[in-house]
Amino acid sequence: MTSAFWSLVLLVTVNTLVFHFMPRFSRPDILFGVTVSEAFVAGAGRKLVSRYRAIVWSGAAGALAIGLLLRSLHNDSGRGAMLMPAVMAGSVVVAHVAWQLARRKARAHAVPPSDVRVASLVTRDTSLPGGTLFAVGPFAILLATALIVYAYRNDAVDGRDTANPFAQLALGAIFVTMMLTMAVTMARRSRQIAADGPAAAAEHRFRRVNVLVPVLVAYATAIVMSATTVESIPAFGGILSVRGWIVMLPLMLFGFGVNYWMFRVGQGGQRAVAPAARREVRGDATPDHAWIFGVYYVNPRDPAMWVENRFGLGYTLNFGNWRAWLLIIGMMLIPMFAGHLLSSGG
Amino acid sequence: MAASLRVSLNLESPIPAYRQIADDVRRHLVDERLKPGDLLPPIRQLALDLGVHFNTVALAYRLLADEGWLELKRRRGATVIARNAPRAVDQRHVDHLLRQVAQIAAQLRSAGMSSRQISAALRRLAEGGSL
Repeated sequence: MTSAFWSLVLLVTVNTLVFHFMPRFSRPDILFGVTVSEAFVAGAGRKLVSRYRAIVWSGAAGALAIGLLLRSLHNDSGRGAMLMPAVMAGSVVVAHVAWQLARRKARAHAVPPSDVRVASLVTRDTSLPGGTLFAVGPFAILLATALIVYAYRNDAVDGRDTANPFAQLALGAIFVTMMLTMAVTMARRSRQIAADGPAAAAEHRFRRVNVLVPVLVAYATAIVMSATTVESIPAFGGILSVRGWIVMLPLMLFGFGVNYWMFRVGQGGQRAVAPAARREVRGDATPDHAWIFGVYYVNPRDPAMWVENRFGLGYTLNFGNWRAWLLIIGMMLIPMFAGHLLSSGG
Repeated sequence: MAASLRVSLNLESPIPAYRQIADDVRRHLVDERLKPGDLLPPIRQLALDLGVHFNTVALAYRLLADEGWLELKRRRGATVIARNAPRAVDQRHVDHLLRQVAQIAAQLRSAGMSSRQISAALRRLAEGGSL
């Protein structure tokens, strides 16, 4: 019960902090998923943000108070621990409602989209960070592991309770393929909003970092899958004995670093650009009406597959784009493949 | 290639989108800001950035390729080519453009500009200058 309560405290705090800073993630002229003027954000918008934050923190305080109450009422029983997720969900719902209320108020100050669209005629770099060779790395790791497993196939533990090592590696390869597909499509099928100048350079940097994330996740997956597979071979078990934190710590540090950097520069890296340099750019070149609840972008008329997220950091899929649905279906099929591969290899 | 090369698209304009794109690119070509050997953005990239269908940009590139400005190659995109001699022109198209110039000249005169001012402005534009 005590651990359930402290888990609740941690999750509610993290959730509340994320929602607290959510308005800060957007481009400077987007507030609660609505394109507004920067003057509004600096003026009347601040009051709106304060009111929104007050609701979010009240929800968090309420959730923690209920958690404390449950802890004192059901100290020795499991019922209180079972109710904790519901309390957590309640604080999330309150935060979302606060977001939607603020969004409704911000819409009254929406700025109409520009009739003029501008693009650069200079070819931009849409390759993966590190190039194709770097992107092939995760597959090379998995292939090398498969060769090791094959070479030591007679030593491998082969029992009913052990998953087929090749199935595990195949699963890793599927996941890596999906991650790299995400990276490639994000690099090639997302829009450059600012045509040129410092705003465009900042946006390009922002996109490159976002593209790098799935590539590194692919590396992490390949390393973890390979390490756990090789460990099942008795000859290597003692040598490797990979501890989870050795892999997880750099990953967590990288994730923290990326998030902190994105928080600093805001969506599209535009908060790091002088206001004069981004004067030509209005919003993120997507129409407000295509953002369902300010969270999901659904615009079949937009050829972009990825667009800058208005609810959080990074990029989100255009759910009106059929290519995006191919990616979503592919991601949904992975668990099915996983189940099939691992069960068939048992 | 200069960093300020841009193409703009006015959604409210009665001029079709592919023509606006072609007109802007042609302006850069005529002014030699785009030189032979320069590579234009791939069709998909430009279409994404402008938020138009791929076919719109493909049509604009095709128009310029027909005029002899661009060479289109699969996978390599559009490359600016040397256009040493003027291409055989479609006289009907030239007449149509001249009629448009005549209409615009009439509008300018009705707006108060003298013939001399209109001539000077046209000469400036024809020589690659700006308004």
